[in-house]
Parts: sequence; C-alpha cells; structure tokens
Amino acid sequence: MRSKLLALGVLAASGIAMARAPAQAQPAAPSQITIGELYASSGPYASISMPVYNAFKMWVDETNAKGGVQMQAFGNKRIPIKLIAYDDQSSTATAATLYNQLITQDHVDLLIADSGSVLTSVGVPIAREHKQFLFDVSGTGAAFFSDDNPYIALMADPVSTIWPHYISDYLNDEGYKEGIRTVAILYSTNDFTGTQAAALKGFFERDKKVKVVYYQGVPTNTSNYTVLINNIAAQNPDAVLELGYVGNDIAFLRNLQDSGNQFRFVFTIYGGTEKEEIEKNVGVSAVANTFSYVPASNYEYKPEIGMTQTEFRAAWEKKYPSGSGVAFGANAIYGYMTGLVIQRTLETTKSLDQMAIHDAVFALSGKLKTLDGTFELRKDGAQIGEVTPLGQLQPAGKDDLKLVAVYPPDLANGKAVLGK
Amino acid sequence: MLIGAVIAGIFFGLYFTLVGLGLNLVFGVMRIVNLAHGDVLMLGGVAAWALFTSLGLHPLVSAVLVLVVFLVAGLPVYYAVVPRLLRSRDSEMLSLILFFGLSQMIEAVTTISIGATERSLPPRLMGVGPIILFGTRLPKAWFYSAAASAIAVLAVYFYLYRTRLGTLTRAVMVSRDEALATGIDVNMVSAVAFGISLALAGIAGVFAPFIMGSITPNMGVAINLTAFAVIVVGTLGNPLGTLLGGIIYGVSLMLMQTYLSSWANLLPNLLLIGVLLIRPEGLLGRKVRRA
Repeated sequence: MRSKLLALGVLAASGIAMARAPAQAQPAAPSQITIGELYASSGPYASISMPVYNAFKMWVDETNAKGGVQMQAFGNKRIPIKLIAYDDQSSTATAATLYNQLITQDHVDLLIADSGSVLTSVGVPIAREHKQFLFDVSGTGAAFFSDDNPYIALMADPVSTIWPHYISDYLNDEGYKEGIRTVAILYSTNDFTGTQAAALKGFFERDKKVKVVYYQGVPTNTSNYTVLINNIAAQNPDAVLELGYVGNDIAFLRNLQDSGNQFRFVFTIYGGTEKEEIEKNVGVSAVANTFSYVPASNYEYKPEIGMTQTEFRAAWEKKYPSGSGVAFGANAIYGYMTGLVIQRTLETTKSLDQMAIHDAVFALSGKLKTLDGTFELRKDGAQIGEVTPLGQLQPAGKDDLKLVAVYPPDLANGKAVLGK
Repeated sequence: MLIGAVIAGIFFGLYFTLVGLGLNLVFGVMRIVNLAHGDVLMLGGVAAWALFTSLGLHPLVSAVLVLVVFLVAGLPVYYAVVPRLLRSRDSEMLSLILFFGLSQMIEAVTTISIGATERSLPPRLMGVGPIILFGTRLPKAWFYSAAASAIAVLAVYFYLYRTRLGTLTRAVMVSRDEALATGIDVNMVSAVAFGISLALAGIAGVFAPFIMGSITPNMGVAINLTAFAVIVVGTLGNPLGTLLGGIIYGVSLMLMQTYLSSWANLLPNLLLIGVLLIRPEGLLGRKVRRA
C-alpha cells in the first residue's frame, strides 16, 4: 500500500512538473513595456512632430485603459505601456543626445524616432550601433535604408523615392497632353525633400517629355521666396514643384500669391498633407487649385485594426479640440498608426530581443491594413505599401477647399483642372 | 535677375533695419546685448495675430497699439533688470546670459500659451497682388514694412538729434559715467531707450507674418542672429548704421538666393566673420566697443 501511494505521489509530482514545464521555460513577464520616443514641441518641425506625439499618446492611453498589450510571449498576459518621451526642440544635436539616452540610460524596450527625416536622420546610425530596432514614423530619406541594417522599419510614409512618382507620371502623361512642357523644381535641402527632388529630376530626365528648366535647393529655414519665385518666373515654366516642410510651404504659397505670378501647375507637399494648417496660414485663395499629395487623412481606407478615420478624428477632436495648438492632419494618423503597428508587434513577438522585434514587425508586412492603408515593407525596412496619390485642392463652396485625388486613374475621385 | 535681386534686397533689407534698430539702440546706450530681442519681435507678431483673430484689428492699427504697449512695458522691464546688470563687473557678458535666459522663458511661455505651430495673418490685409518696380514683382507688404522702417529710422534720428531727451541719450552713449557725473538721469534716459527698442522690435514683429510667412515661438534665435549680423556690419552702437547693415544684408541674401541658393543661410555668419576680421568696428568705422 505504501509503495502504491509512493508511486502515485511520484506520478502526481512528475505530472505537475510536466504541466509546469512550459510555464517555467517562458520568461518572466515584465511589469511594463517601456517605449522611448522623441518629439519636438518647438522649432521648425513642431508642426509635424506634435501631431505624431499626441496621437501616439492617444494609442498609449487607449491601450493602458485596457490593461496594456496582450503579449503571446508572456502567456497572453496584458502588460501596460510606459512611455518615456523627450523634447528635442527640433534640434538634431539634442535629438542625438536623447536617442542615446533612451537606449543607454533608460534601456527602452522599443524606440520610436521623431517625425520627419531631419530628426530621424541622427537616430538611424545610433540605433544601428546599439542594435536597437528603430520604429521610424515618417523619416523617409532613402539613405536611411540599406540591406545590411536590420534595425529600422518605416511605419507610415512611403520612402521618399516613391512619394513623387505620381507627380512625374501625371505631368508626363496627362499634363503633357494638356501642354505641360517645362517644370521648375525648388526644394529644401534636407533628406526628405532633397531625395524627392532628386528622384523627380531623375524621372523627368528618364522620360524625356517634360524638361526641367529650374532646379535649385534652398536651406530648410528659408522663410522668404519672393526673389526665388521671380527667378523661377524668369524661366517661364509650365509647372512649379516646391518641396519643403510646413513653414516653407506657407512662405512659398503666400509669396506666390503676393507676387502675382501664375503657373499652370503648382505643387506643394503640405498643401494637402497638412491642409488645415496651411489653409489657416495662407488663406483659401492662395492654396486653391494647387496640387499636393493626398494623405491618409483625406482618403478613407478600411482598417482591419484600430479605429476608422472618422472614429479617430472624433477621438482626436475630443482630446485635442480646435485651438489646442495641434491641428489634425496626416501626421496625427501616422502617430496613431505607429501605435497600431507596435501593438501587433508586441502581441506577436517571441521576445523583447531586438531581432525578435524586427522579425515581428516584418511578419506584419503586407498583412496589416490600418487607417493609413496597407503596411508593407521592403526587405531593407523602407515602406512601400502606402501610396501617395496626386491630389488637387479644388474649391468646394465659399471659403472651402476639397482635396480631390486626381492621379493615378484607379485612385482618382476627381479630375485635375490645370491653369491657363 | 540681378536687378530684381538688388531691388528686392533693398526692400527686404529695410525690414531688417527695423529688426536691428532697437537692438543697436540698446547696445549703444547701455552696452548690453539683448538676446531676447528676437523673442520680443515674436511677441509683437503674436500680439498682431491675437488682435486680429479676437478683435479683427488690422495689423497697421495693431502696430500702433504694439508701439505704445511695448514702449510702456519696456520701462518697468528696464528698471527690474538692467540697473542691477550694469552694476556687475562684466555687464556686457552677463547680459548675454541673462537675456538668453529671458529669451528661453519667453519662448517657453509662448509655446505653452499658443502652441508651437505656425501662426499668420491673411495676406489680403496688406493688399492682394504685387507692386511692380523696374520689372520686379514685390509684395505690397514689403512696401508697408519698408515704409514703417523708414519712419522708424527717421523717428530715431529725430529723437536722437532733435530732442532734448535724444541729446541726453547721445551723452549716455558717449560715456555713461560722464553723463552720470554731469547730473543726467542716466536710468531714465536708458529706460526710455529700452522702451523704444522693445517698441521697434514689436512693430517689426507685426510685419513678420507678411515678410517671413508665419511666426512661431522659436523664431527669436534666428532673428537675433540676423539682427546681430546687421548691426555688426552697420557698426555696433550706432543705430543709424543699422540702415546700412540692413540693406547690405538684404541685397546679399537676395543675391545668394539667386546665384547660390543652397548656401543662403550661411550669409549672416559670413557677414559677421568677414566684418569682424576685416573691419571689426563696422563699416561706419565708429569705435564703440570697449577692449
């Protein structure tokens, strides 16, 4: 009897041990996931950085309200997010110090770059050196991505070389039929716009239809374009493409209207991308009929995760009502969308090891549809899923403009109207 | 393109004369460098924006209000800050630190109050369409700002050379100690000059949205650098030399934008380095800096 009891005890003990074995192999769940992020509350990039930061905070709050992210790696336990965010004040030098601090002092689990190519550019080599995966929200400079760097993925914008191809396609196709023969390209000398300008010049030279008659770079802090516009007008181009950040586009569009010069086709990046911000500063008449990219904020994608654009906008306006200083626009969507990618990454990653994070992010490629469109990565981490249709800000009633997608034809919901 | 750049540069430079005029007046009278000058300019722009959005005031009306308010506000600010600064052993150097701190404070408070993004005024307020001068198209706002600058230069000239207070101010500019010894109320004279300086910066700020497209809380630092280049070129401590410095800056910038646009933002630094190496007393040659 005693031997039977002993045998049963041994069996029971071994059964319990076997049942516990997988749990013991699983690493202990951390009390929180720390995410490090930079933002710019002041300086020339504040207007593209603060919407990203505010929207990302919305995702953090929403997630923590549910108890955190449910992570398979830790037995489907919900783990809350702790956000450590520093203000780089639009300074690359400060940003470099803070990226280092987030990695080496705060030991964050996940690292998010500040918005835009300029403030991301300093984070790319630092993250790579420390083998820390960088969630690059909207730093689209082509030089950031290479096959030998697995520590980066672009979240919300296509890489800069992809952005402008619909502009050149339109001008070489429908524009050419309408008599567009010459183009002037004026760009700010930074990774984001410099890459786009070089890509555009290459497209036009390759296709040999529309001729580039003016190609000049200006410092990103340029705040007056009057003489530059007069110089462009002296070349008499049919189309003018101004590639700059928000402050550049505001100054350019105001100066263009003030100068009285008119061109058949005028393009700015932020006329559509940050439509409210631009309209507020330059007025409806100065931006009417200009062309721009159609961002996710003006295009209703059907998300398979997270809020729809309408729901997100309502939540945004509840949290950041008009007059709060940060306008709703594409960058707000980029911030929220980055949160959704991180959510899925954390849910599916095998561990918090940075290469496991890399694998989890890349496993989402082509399978994740958010309010920003399809998330798809090239093998070097460049974003290629999301598209940037060409749009035109067409009058819609008194003192209002509607951003109409005009190219490519399969994405168009209106027809372009060229100036005479 | 050359003639266009020169004409545009003269008008643009006149605006920067207005920007630098007050900074130079303060240095001339008090031998201190107001590194918050650009931030005061920004506050002038914010005031014009706030007055337009809340009361619908035209910026030219706002300019008059800003002139009065900033002039009056300058008096207590002077008495709170400058006399103590001037009693220190190296007031010129300490002023850099103190006003840098003030600059950061103004920027931070403004950012908290109105946000970090761009603010502007509708271009139509200064008239739509260009004025064409020798074939060069210039915004109407440039003429208004150039006119405001010309009026400011003339007013400062009139104040310095045609009023009793101006005579006393020039006496303080020559030697603060000797002026004090002769019984001049140096603090009162300096306080008025400080108020005028803030008022000039404020008026320049009202025109800033039309010249620079928009205003942001952080614009002060860049403005300071440019204003400093303008007054060093024109001669530190000589308010009227600012006119020369402003025009040289404006014309050089427009020429750079025309022929070497990518390098245009180097211009203030190049002008500063060039003048300090070749003619450190400034182009008008009046030696006012202490060794």
